[in-house]
Amino acid sequence: MERSLQNQLQEIKGTDILIGIPSYNNVRTIGHVVRAVMAGLAKYFPGAKAVMINSDGGSTDGTQEVVREVHIEDYKTILTSHPVYPTHKIVTPYHGIPGKGSAFRMIFEAAKILKAKACAVVDSDLRSITPEWMELLLTPVYKEGFDYVAPLYARHKFDGTITNSIVYPLTRTLYGKRVRQPIGGDFGFSGKLAEFYLTQNVWETDVARFGIDIWMTTLAITEGHKVCQSYLGAKIHDAKDPGSDLGPMFTQVVSSVFSLMKAYEHLWKKVKESQPIPTFGFHYEVGLEPVSVNVERMIENFRLGVQGLMEIWRKGLLPETVGWLESIGRLSNEAFSFPQDLWVRVVYDFAIAHHQGSIHREHLLKSMIPLYLGRVASFIRENRDSSADEVEKKIEFLCKTFEEMKPYLIERWK
Amino acid sequence: MSEIWKAAVVDSVNRFLGKVLTFLPNLLAMATILIIGFLIAWIIKMVIVRFLKAIQFDQVSDQWGLTRILFQGGLHDAPAILLGRFFYWMIVLITLILGINALEVAAMQNLIAQFFNFLPHLFAALSILVIGYFVGVFLGQAALIAAVNAQVGSAKTLGRAVRWFVIILSLTMALYHLGIAEKVIVATFAITFGGIVLALSIAFGWGGRDLAKDFLERLYGRKGKRGEGPDQISHL
Repeated sequence: MERSLQNQLQEIKGTDILIGIPSYNNVRTIGHVVRAVMAGLAKYFPGAKAVMINSDGGSTDGTQEVVREVHIEDYKTILTSHPVYPTHKIVTPYHGIPGKGSAFRMIFEAAKILKAKACAVVDSDLRSITPEWMELLLTPVYKEGFDYVAPLYARHKFDGTITNSIVYPLTRTLYGKRVRQPIGGDFGFSGKLAEFYLTQNVWETDVARFGIDIWMTTLAITEGHKVCQSYLGAKIHDAKDPGSDLGPMFTQVVSSVFSLMKAYEHLWKKVKESQPIPTFGFHYEVGLEPVSVNVERMIENFRLGVQGLMEIWRKGLLPETVGWLESIGRLSNEAFSFPQDLWVRVVYDFAIAHHQGSIHREHLLKSMIPLYLGRVASFIRENRDSSADEVEKKIEFLCKTFEEMKPYLIERWK
Repeated sequence: MSEIWKAAVVDSVNRFLGKVLTFLPNLLAMATILIIGFLIAWIIKMVIVRFLKAIQFDQVSDQWGLTRILFQGGLHDAPAILLGRFFYWMIVLITLILGINALEVAAMQNLIAQFFNFLPHLFAALSILVIGYFVGVFLGQAALIAAVNAQVGSAKTLGRAVRWFVIILSLTMALYHLGIAEKVIVATFAITFGGIVLALSIAFGWGGRDLAKDFLERLYGRKGKRGEGPDQISHL
């Protein structure tokens, strides 16, 4: 952290609440996010001293200027009076590996210097954030004694496919806590937990990038911190082409999950079943925008994988799994189906191969993408006419399969 | 007359015996060097094989595809044994040279000096070849995965092309380093590589204009495959 920023933080002389907003070229949405944060703090924590820090990755579209300029002109319009302490706003670039994790690291450092009691981080591309998110993310820490608050959203039934098909089932199976959105991106946490995160030497790994969310969630669970989740409502973020980011996003998240498996091997091997965690917030139904998905393209990508990557897969997968994948690759688009027990076996085999290091790890994870797309295509096809509740039940069933097949993972893990 | 003849014979025999007596210690030295050399070669071979087996060299070679290449080349033994055998014969060769050197035959000594001067180049060339092979396999695999994820239809061909390009490049460098037909090697490589690039450029420009257009449009997200839009789902 730069000396000038350290001085700036020290001059504030401590805070009750710290809000972090990592950003990179989010000029379209960050104004709304900052306003929602300020309104939420004024409304739900009027007597608390609060600091908002925008940790920016070098935006060139005026994101930083928007954060500096945006303010609430009349607090009466949001049915509250001026807060006792005006929110301090700090806009600063972060240093280190470019990525979300590095931005978070700076927020943790600020929390340590400011001795913040409760902290929250929210994504800067959110269109659905409301002032209530501040209450829901901060109150469990500020007033209820929790250390970590994960988000719970209403999402489109096909949204969050890495979460639904890998990260949630695997985290739940391994560590025994049902944190539904372990990589949601919007979290609440105590200053104490932020200080603990800073003591870890992970800032040159994938944790400094997209791996930060699962790393924070996993450490909060495994290190014995009090974990809960808050229902925030709909999660709608700024439109972009998610396909363009899939490669690094997928490899960084999955690599972090697999690396954590190695670090906490002693712990997850003992976990037999999963438990729900305390949940806050008022659950309600929301209307979500429809999304278009090109399933045929995903199937085609899977087939290309079967044709080209079998030699790599063979090094990690069991022969019967390879045979199964080959037979799926021969199916027509109409008959295409990637069964969930096969998927669970594939995820476990890749985790084992990653642990054993028998294949270059980045190659291994990148070669998993066509398999992931095949599974997503099959899931979308199976649930095209299902309601959101029915899809949630299918995800629950997938989690059960992960849990039932855990002995297979333990047996093959050496 | 007979005395002269007798003196000549005795002198000749004496000279021969003198030469034999001078040569005999060299011969004994050679025999000693050979016996000790063969013994050291055998011990080193055993140590290398055991060490390579301990670090699971055979499994790593299998994963890198080295075993398959060796098998295709008619070498059916495990890579650890082959490497142990290689070092054994290298030491045997050096022992033989040292043994011959011990005989102190002037013509042989020149040849041996040349051989020892050439030895570092040989090792450097072999190192280039081995490193080139592993880099070729690694980059070929990276290109294959990237091409599959970018939905390039001929991903396998692309992966193979990258792998063989790097291997051939390292072979060219190794031969150049050994000083074998340097100019011919460089010219051949330049002509072949230039020819391949030119052929691909013409083929892509002439025959694949639509393909290139489609590829670039998809790359910049103007349209999806078969004219469909990009996916709108969020993966995280």
